[in-house]
Amino acid sequence: MSVIDDLASEFTRLPGIGRKTAYRLTHYLLKIPPEEACRLARAIEAMAERVRRCSICNNLSESDPCEFCTNPTRDRTVICVVEEASDIAAIDGSGGYRGLYHVLGGCLSPLDGIGPEELNVDSLLARLNGEVREVIIATNPSVEGEATATYLHRAIGSRGVQVTRLARGLPVGGDLEYADGVTIAQALSGRRGM
Amino acid sequence: MKLGHLEPRGGLEKGRFFGYFYRVFLQRIQLRNFRNFEDETVDFPERGAALIGDNGQGKTNLLEAIYYLEIFRSFRGARDEQLIRFGTDHFRVEGSLVEAGGAEVTVAAAYRREGRRKKVTLNGDEPQRFGEAIGRIGAIVFTASDVEIVAGGPAARRRFLDIILSLVEPDYLAVLQRYRRILTQRNESLREGASPSELAAWNHGLVDAGCSIIEARARWVAEQRAGFARYYEKISGGQQASIDYAPSIPKPTGDRAAPIDRHGWIEAFHGRLQRLAERERRRGVTLAGPHRDELKFRVGNSSDAVGLRSFGSAGQQRTAAVALRMVEAETLRAALGGEPIIMLDDVFAELDPPRSERVVELLAAEEWGQVLVTSPKPSEFALMGDSLAEYRIAAGTLRRV
Repeated sequence: MSVIDDLASEFTRLPGIGRKTAYRLTHYLLKIPPEEACRLARAIEAMAERVRRCSICNNLSESDPCEFCTNPTRDRTVICVVEEASDIAAIDGSGGYRGLYHVLGGCLSPLDGIGPEELNVDSLLARLNGEVREVIIATNPSVEGEATATYLHRAIGSRGVQVTRLARGLPVGGDLEYADGVTIAQALSGRRGM
Repeated sequence: MKLGHLEPRGGLEKGRFFGYFYRVFLQRIQLRNFRNFEDETVDFPERGAALIGDNGQGKTNLLEAIYYLEIFRSFRGARDEQLIRFGTDHFRVEGSLVEAGGAEVTVAAAYRREGRRKKVTLNGDEPQRFGEAIGRIGAIVFTASDVEIVAGGPAARRRFLDIILSLVEPDYLAVLQRYRRILTQRNESLREGASPSELAAWNHGLVDAGCSIIEARARWVAEQRAGFARYYEKISGGQQASIDYAPSIPKPTGDRAAPIDRHGWIEAFHGRLQRLAERERRRGVTLAGPHRDELKFRVGNSSDAVGLRSFGSAGQQRTAAVALRMVEAETLRAALGGEPIIMLDDVFAELDPPRSERVVELLAAEEWGQVLVTSPKPSEFALMGDSLAEYRIAAGTLRRV
């Protein structure tokens, strides 16, 4: 196999990349100046070497503990629990949250062989040490995410910490007429007094 | 059997045999590589059609294709790849409907063996959810194999309930899919011997989705009980039969007069799971929930009524199956606010002549929409009057006579 085939077959291992796209990317990299291709290679190398799991919250970061866990301006009384590290970017990017995070590393799914032991549940419970007053569960609104939320709710249960779940409902700026039935039903059952 | 027996009665004037209040009718069906059809386009009149052909020529296949546009699955329970014509790699069905105001609607479905890709379009656009396109044509199929709903295993009865409720209740299908997903996960977790706390994490969703299904089924059966008894009585010529919902969760007790509320079902479901916990762990499957519900049919007077499935005669079972489809049509009619398309697949072959005639009388007495009937013999259509255009079907081709 040539080095071209080598690189293409590496690309096909990425999510959403098939054989054709892999060769297109490879040939693109052959066309651009060699130093640009090397810059990409170095970026991948640096990322693989330097990024690791935060030993407190399991977030991906260059430092351990991560920048959220060490930031003195963050609210240390709230922990937001997410399935994947990539969810943090979405929540933090909203600007509506200033607390800490905890990454579970997935959600309960017996079909995929994922039980509570495969998730970072124990390390979450270990963080509930008196300072934390609220745990916000921000798992996905899927069947598995809901079961995980129920599990965490019961596991945290008697520790004197308030457990909350992200609300579900209509998207901001959305048109009621175009929302699907399930979303509207959820928004109705979760309606609030004014 | 002559039309003479069936002169419309009760003040119905001639020519209104199947009514004029058509909500929607199938104007054209286009088939490509569907079962034994290679490339076939057929136009149907508003009133309906009689499809005549020997066995194995494609009569049922054609109705199967039309009903595929209603639920996007085979009514015969065939898998999608089995519907692809031998030696080809995909099939496509497209139906053009004319709605009450004259507006045309196109529903199409295609399935490709490679990648098992199914594509459904409404007027050329893919709907966001499958559920939006489901039930768009509004049709009912009466087939000889309907007797299996009554005489076969309970899964067939649950499937019947699930299809009709998916067609008329906006959220039923989504909840059913959620329930099935939770059930699979919970069963896997039981098989793996998961801890009670992990199992409990699935209970909440199982009970929540399960109770929505139970409520919908209980409501439907309660609403249709009288209609079923009435249709059975008419078709059988005065005999009695009943239909009852027997949920796997014991009905919550309490004031008999008061309707059972959701809260009652939720408590009953949780209680049942608690009592069965040990057995579930041993067996490794979920033992309570709507996936184990039953629909019970009984015949006879209430004092000496017997189970239709075990003790009913073949004739009684067929009659109950037809009555059940009549009730289904009534449900669909109420939901559509108009007439469903009625398809009769060789049903009269299985019923004795007096019952056949009474079925046709029922069809004639109510305002039905377009009717598509199949039979191997033209003589059968004397029953339906002269109002239906005749088509011959042979080896996957169809032509109007």
